[in-house]
Amino acid sequence: MKSREQEYREIFVAEALEYYDALSRHISELEKSPKDEKLLAEIFRLLHNLKANAKAIGFINISDLSHKLETAFGLIRNKELNFSDEVVTVLFDGVDMLGEMITNLDNPNYKEADNQVLLRNLDLIVEAPDSTALEVDKVQRDYTAKNLSLSDLIYIQIKKLDHMMNLVGELIIDRDRILSLSKEIENPDLAVVSSHLYRITEELQFSVMDARLVNVGTLFNKFPRIVRDIAVAEKKQIHLEITGQDIQIDRNILQIITDSLLHLVRNAITHGIEPAEERVKIGKEAEGNVWLSAQNDRDMVNIKLRDDGKGIDLNDMKKAIVQRGFLTSDVVNDLRESEILSYIFEPGFSLAKEITEFSGRGVGLDVVKNAIDSIGGRLRVESEIGVGTTFTLHLPTSIAVKGALLFEVAGGFFAIPLMHTDSVVALQNHQLHEVGDMLVAEIMNETISVIYLDELLNAPEGQMRLGDKRVLKGTEQNIIIVTYNNRKLGLIVDKLLRQQDIVIKPLNKPVDNIDIYGGVTLLGTGKVCLVLDVPAITRYFISKR
Amino acid sequence: MKKRILIVDDSFYMRTMLKNMLTDAGYEVVGEAPNGQTALQLAKETNPDLVTLDVILPDNTGLDVLKGIKQDNPDMKVIIVSAVGQEVIVNEAIEHGALAYIVKPFSEEKVLETVGNALK
Repeated sequence: MKSREQEYREIFVAEALEYYDALSRHISELEKSPKDEKLLAEIFRLLHNLKANAKAIGFINISDLSHKLETAFGLIRNKELNFSDEVVTVLFDGVDMLGEMITNLDNPNYKEADNQVLLRNLDLIVEAPDSTALEVDKVQRDYTAKNLSLSDLIYIQIKKLDHMMNLVGELIIDRDRILSLSKEIENPDLAVVSSHLYRITEELQFSVMDARLVNVGTLFNKFPRIVRDIAVAEKKQIHLEITGQDIQIDRNILQIITDSLLHLVRNAITHGIEPAEERVKIGKEAEGNVWLSAQNDRDMVNIKLRDDGKGIDLNDMKKAIVQRGFLTSDVVNDLRESEILSYIFEPGFSLAKEITEFSGRGVGLDVVKNAIDSIGGRLRVESEIGVGTTFTLHLPTSIAVKGALLFEVAGGFFAIPLMHTDSVVALQNHQLHEVGDMLVAEIMNETISVIYLDELLNAPEGQMRLGDKRVLKGTEQNIIIVTYNNRKLGLIVDKLLRQQDIVIKPLNKPVDNIDIYGGVTLLGTGKVCLVLDVPAITRYFISKR
Repeated sequence: MKKRILIVDDSFYMRTMLKNMLTDAGYEVVGEAPNGQTALQLAKETNPDLVTLDVILPDNTGLDVLKGIKQDNPDMKVIIVSAVGQEVIVNEAIEHGALAYIVKPFSEEKVLETVGNALK
């Protein structure tokens, strides 16, 4: 796990090396123009920072030496000390020593040389500014040749990595195009080159994705403090347990879920965990527990937030669903538990009875849900009354490339991210039933609404007949079952093609506001392939039910 | 409303520590400036409730930044964050309207206490 201390240490070392490089450069320049005040000010500043940073992190030797050098340069700057040969030698020795200490910070075998003589010399020049009479001792050096080394760590703006990721995306699209051209042309040389290109780009893609990974700990480690603050404000006792801090995830994904996770944690403490006296009364320990964990699950990262609070009351849920006009009471009674729970992610839905400082100020869980959707993740809730609630965030490790199911409708190519596909079935037309203006089918013991995509996408305005079996082609239908927010929907497609990793590009204006498409990709054949926005389609049809 | 803070310090290490301490405590860090010019620009653009200002900066002295900020917005709160040995400049800064100062290396408690008092 990369703790905050480690992070600080890495930053300190990288910055100290930078300072040391600049110091060496400036001191050589200073030798040529000893009166250059800008140079002196810069050297002074670098030593000053080094002193303060080293002291803050606890490298006292570096801090002490920087301090002495800073004092000496301060005197030179104020013209209280001459930049004489003896002084120059001592200062150079000092900066060299500083460099040696800094470059060896990460070297476990390094033994700091005895620098008593050097420190005494520095004290001498600082205390006896009349440097003409100075008698400094020669510093014995243990090392003869200076080692040149640069930091192993660089800092890079996330913007630059975003740009690289975009370029890799473009490259993959072209690669797939070349690959399929080489199959068409059947030139053996081209086939060899393109398969090599395939491997290289794949590796490139993974390296760029890898460079963007950070530990979820960078976010998780903020929570002990936050939980403490909320617990104090809510007058509750909370024990927080964090696991899986070293699981890695794309930095931007972590950024996007930050507010969501904060929201869920606040909810867990304010609404989930009962007050201590209430907990004791029902035989729970007074201190409430909150577990925050991360786990790898194939290509995904699962982040779980669990509390042992009062859980979500399904009867309260049912009442609220009816009260807020989402569904009628007879429909609600037919819903499965998971379907009922999924309504807490609906906009405008709230179970909060009172507003506290930390929760219930109108921001609902729908905001959390939308944030997770936007990165192609899934949010799930499980709850048992009296026992507690668990929110699970299924997140992709990387944003750019997604596995998708490709299919054809009326000669056009379409894709659905695998994240949202549940299963694929083939049904005879007689297994589809006309109910109202919809088709439904009994699939694996569930009644699922089925949409004929050709009709949805291509029927003329106002003439859509989604509930009419006569518009179907053939006697058997391929149906992709998609799932969103615990709800399933069947989509009838003309032809299933294959699974493939695709790079989804957002739609540009003016077509970017077409709800049912989440983006577009180019296939190897050069054909355009639209990516269906499963959350949008599901929301639309569920609201119709 | 979260109080909004601008951090001015030429050391990335110091900025990172300050930023972590302040965001953990519920403040919003609206910007980080490594030099005087950026500091003045960000102070104008982000209009923070408070600026933490290091007095030794690469281009300008911190004092010039303080004067610039006070000229643009006399009500903007500024606290000085400085290492030992800069007492002269710190005193001058207080005379020019800085509310308080923190000596590096600082403890989290000291930072939060000083910032909290300044924002009262």
